[in-house]
Parts: sequence; C-alpha cells; structure tokens
Amino acid sequence: MTLLTCIMVGVIFAAATYMMLGRELKGVCMGVFLMGHGANLAIIATSRSPIGREPPVLGLARISELADPLPQALILTAIVIGFAVQAFLLTLLVITWRRSRTLQLAELAVEEGA
Amino acid sequence: MPERLIVYMLVVPMAAAIVAMCLHGFRSIQRPVGSAFLVANFLVCARFLYTVCTATDPQGRVLVSQMGSWPAPFGITIVVDPLAALMLTVSSLVCLAVFVYSLTQLDDRFAGGFFHPMFHLLVLGVQWSFVAGDLFNLFVAFEIMLMASYAIFVLGTTRAQMRQAYKYVLLNLIGSTLFVTCCGLVYGQLGTLNMAHITQIVQDGRLPASSIPVITMLLLVFGAKTAIFPLWYWLPDTYHTLPAAIGGLFAGLLTKVGAYVMIRVFVMMFGGSPQVTAVLTPLILISAGVTMFLGVLGAVSMHSVRRILSIHIISQVGYMLMGVGLGMSAVSGLSGGAALASRELAIAGAIFFIVHNMVVKCCLFLCGGLMIEHAGSDDLNKIGGLLRRAPWLATLFLIAALSLAGLPPLSGFFGKWVLIREGFTQQQYWLTGFAIATSLLTLLSMLKIWSYGFWSPPQGQHVTRPHYRVRTVGGIASIALLVVVALSMGFGASSYMKVARLAASTVVYPRLYVDAVLGKAAAPRLAPMRPSHASIDGPETSGHANGLRGETRLAAVDSVETR
Repeated sequence: MTLLTCIMVGVIFAAATYMMLGRELKGVCMGVFLMGHGANLAIIATSRSPIGREPPVLGLARISELADPLPQALILTAIVIGFAVQAFLLTLLVITWRRSRTLQLAELAVEEGA
Repeated sequence: MPERLIVYMLVVPMAAAIVAMCLHGFRSIQRPVGSAFLVANFLVCARFLYTVCTATDPQGRVLVSQMGSWPAPFGITIVVDPLAALMLTVSSLVCLAVFVYSLTQLDDRFAGGFFHPMFHLLVLGVQWSFVAGDLFNLFVAFEIMLMASYAIFVLGTTRAQMRQAYKYVLLNLIGSTLFVTCCGLVYGQLGTLNMAHITQIVQDGRLPASSIPVITMLLLVFGAKTAIFPLWYWLPDTYHTLPAAIGGLFAGLLTKVGAYVMIRVFVMMFGGSPQVTAVLTPLILISAGVTMFLGVLGAVSMHSVRRILSIHIISQVGYMLMGVGLGMSAVSGLSGGAALASRELAIAGAIFFIVHNMVVKCCLFLCGGLMIEHAGSDDLNKIGGLLRRAPWLATLFLIAALSLAGLPPLSGFFGKWVLIREGFTQQQYWLTGFAIATSLLTLLSMLKIWSYGFWSPPQGQHVTRPHYRVRTVGGIASIALLVVVALSMGFGASSYMKVARLAASTVVYPRLYVDAVLGKAAAPRLAPMRPSHASIDGPETSGHANGLRGETRLAAVDSVETR
C-alpha cells in the first residue's frame, strides 16, 4: 500500500513538472494544482497504511488500533489552503484572459514589449 | 505580563484585518483604525521584547503559550524568544512606517478598500512566522503571508504587473508545495513537527542519516523565499513593478522572514548535528559569496532607482546567509569553546544585519517612491537636481544609503564588521574578501543614485512642470521615523548588539528553548525509547515504525489519557 502510494506520488510529481514546463498559463496552473495533490498524497504515505485501522476518534476503538491522526489533520489544512490558492490563480487567469485575450506566455511577452 | 498573552501578537493583526475588511467601503475610517491597530501592535511587540530581554531568570527569556493547553509537542505552540521578539518589534515598526507612507503617497488605484485588510493579513502572516513553534504552523503562516502578498501584488493590475505576478505566484506556490512535502517527510522520519522536539532529537544525536536529503530540500524551499543564488531569479523582475510603498513593505519583510527562518531551522534545529552541518555549510557559504557579489554587480549595472534597490536586496541577503553559514560551520583550528563563541558572534552579526536591513532597505524604497513623486520617473538618465527641490528627502536618502553601504558610525557598519571579523576568525578568506568587495560596490551604486538623482543638473517633471506640487508630508514623516531608528542602531550599536547576542545565544544553545517549550517534566517522559507497535502493521510499513515514531505516538496517547 505504502509502496503503491509512493509510486503514485512520483508519477503525479513528474506529470505536474511536465505540465509546468509548458508555454500556456492554464496548463502551468493545472500543473501547480496537481503538484499540491501529490504533496498531500506524500503526507498520507508517511502515516503508515490506514487499512485495517480505526478512524482517529477517541472512544470508538482501542487506542492501539487507531490510525495516525496528525497527517490527516495536516492534509485537511493543506487542502483548504490549496483551495484558496486555486481560487486565486483561476481568478488571475480569468482577468488575464479578459485583458489580453490570450494565455500563451510568448504572446503575453510580445504584448508587453509593444 | 502573563506568558499566555503572547497570542496578542496574532490576535491584534487578525482583528485589524477583520475590522478593515468590514470597513472596506469606508476608506476614511479604515485609515485611522488601521493606524491605531498597528501602533497597538508595535507596543505589544516592544513590551514583550522588553520582557524577554530584561528577565533575570534565564527561564523567563523564552515565553511559551500552548494553544488550548495541549502539551507540546502534540498541540500548537507559540514561542517568543529574544530572536523572535526582536524581529517582531522591528517588523511591526517597519509595517507602521509603510502604512503611514501609504496613507498619503499610495495612488487610489492601489489603495482601494481591500488594500487595508490584505496589509493587515500580511502583518499577521509575518508575525506568525516569527512565533510559530512547529514546522506546519510555519507553513500555514507562510501561506497567509504569501496569499496576502499575492493579492497586494495584483492590486491595480497593470499589464506588466500581471505578467510578473504569475512569475511570483507560481514560483512561491511551487516553493510552498515543496515545503508541505518536506513537513510530511520530516514527520515520517522523526514523528514530530515541533521545533523544540526536533531540536531535542538532534541534540541527543538521534537524527537518522536519511533526514539529510529532506533538510537539504528545506534549504531549497527557504532559499527560494529568501532569494539566494541560484534561486533568486524571480526577485529583480518582480519588485520593481510595484508602487514604492508596497515594494518597501515586501523588501523590508518578505526576504527577511526567509532569513529568520533559516537561522531558526538550520542553526537552532539542525545546527547540533555534525552530519547536517557538514553537508549544508559549504552549500550555504558558497551561495552566500555568489549571492552577495553577483547581486551587487547587478546593482552597479542597473540604471533605475527601483531596479538598483530591488537587486540590492539579493546582495544584502548574501550577508545574512554568510552569518547563517558561519554560525553552522564546524570551525577548524579552534578549540570547542572558541568555536562556539565564534558561531554565536556570527549569528549575532547576522541578526543585527537583518534588523538593520529591514529598516534601511524599506526606507530606501520609500525614498525612491518620493523621488518618483517629485521627478516623475526613476530612470536615472531622466531625473536630476532633486537636492535643491527636496533637501529633506536628499538628507534622509543620503543617511539611509550610507547606512546600507556600511560607513561607520552608521548601522550597516556594525553588522558587517562582526560578520567579516568572524569570517577571518573562521579562516574563510575568500568569502570575507567578497564581503568587503561587495561593500565597496554597494557604496558605488548608492553614490550613483545620489549623484545622478540629487546632484546632477536639474531635469525631470519638477523642472518641466514647475507648478506641479506634490504632497510628501506623510512620506517624509515615515522615512524620517525609519532613519531615526537606523541612526539609533548606529550610535547605540552596543545595546542593539547586546540584544542580538542574547538572541543568538538562545539559538546556538537551544537548551533553554527546548526546556521552555517541552517543559522540564515532559522531557524525561519522552526520553526512553518505547517499544513500537510495529507488529500490527502491514509488512510493507514495518520499517517505518522503528525508532522515534512509535515512541512519540505512544507518548501522545499517554497525554490524551491523562487529560
């Protein structure tokens, strides 16, 4: 399970890096979002396999069978922050599109020079 | 003042942001309310600096508040030690000065209703990064700070600004993602994120060798935020498009937060591990030399005030990095005590330099803003003769510029002097030579602004449109405030240096910090290695479970049970 998660993290980071190297802003932003998911998955991989463990709520299970709550709390926070960042970036994309009618980095640079 | 009140450092700016948000339609009320909050914020910070620096009991020097009374390392911890208190006081002062400047000088296009809440949120993020007691809270604080800075960055959205905004936002987002990944990996290896607890693990020599790549990755994260070589490329292009008030705020605070975090993480947390310092110190020292020298070469080649100043940020960051590197290095040829003393002095020099740079750099950006107000441009070929037009501005600029270059008895001299002396003590002759050369070139580039902007024959808007008068009272007042602080750091250098040495000693000898956060009682409970419950894990994860993780987790369960 952990091994599978680790491989997935690697694949996601590789895909995200590939997208960020593109010349089009939408793809670059999607790459950044994807990378955030990869980071979240990396955190869950550090919490050992949750399979067969109880959810981390006291009083429902024996303490030794609880899943590690801390990485879950971290991911929850990271996801919320990620939402805010995504909303901001998408807004920025919309404004750029309205102003310039293009999201190609090369065209944006030309326009700025003109 | 009770220890738990240190949470005011977060409550005051957060309250300011909420109030300013509610008042976004009423700009005339936002201004006095914001000023009142920032003054209160400064007073709170200064009060705690006084508390930690005058405490007779050494335990009183580190103020700790555990949120919700959850004991460290399981809850959220806020810590104010002399280093954090000093940074907080100076940063709150810089924020106040920039705010006063922005009240009168900032264009209405930028200073719309939402500038104020974002400004206060930025202050919140900066102050939280100074007091955060664990790595993940540091991440959250960084995110608040960066999010506010993104929003301020695109205020008024000119096209050039938009394009640079992408560079700034995307690079910082990648940095944040790496940071949160590092948090996960550190937790996976050490089973804790609490800074004091990690420090204790490192001091006990229980840091696994597999942590070193993660720590190096942290250097990448903080290096990008601090704009060190080779991760600085985003900075020169982005800062010069900003209006002067915002540029001053970013220049005075953001990269310095990165430098502070480097001292906290690499010197305090991981500085006790010879393996880590053996890997990181050469990287940091080489990067410091290249950063400071290339930065100043860039500044000498530029020909516009804001560009010179923004690329100078990089060069100054090199000195801070030099202090961090000298503070980590295992000194050859010195006995143990002398080596520790040299490390402590180098860190003190770096802290003094950061504080000096926050004030002076911000002040110079604000001066640049007023030069644009007077002359209509900041291209040194198109302006001149401002000495006659604005004698006060010229005087204040000259003092700040010479402070930055480090002429005695102004403030920049003392930080550099300590750093260079410790460089010689530790036999880093190349680095020290670069530091001295950089200092001379800094003087050259500052004199370039002075001679082209102020001394040359008059030209620019104030000549072609002589009836155009600008209001600069608020701007001059805030610049004067910063210059007075900078002068006091020069003429009262010994008392500032005393505080900086106190701050450095809590970082180089972190025992006080660890005891204050974890509590004397908690330390023995964590010390013995508990048997881990690896047997109930799947086979693929059992390798993880050895060592620190099981121990911490069981301790966590203990503390929950005892509650």
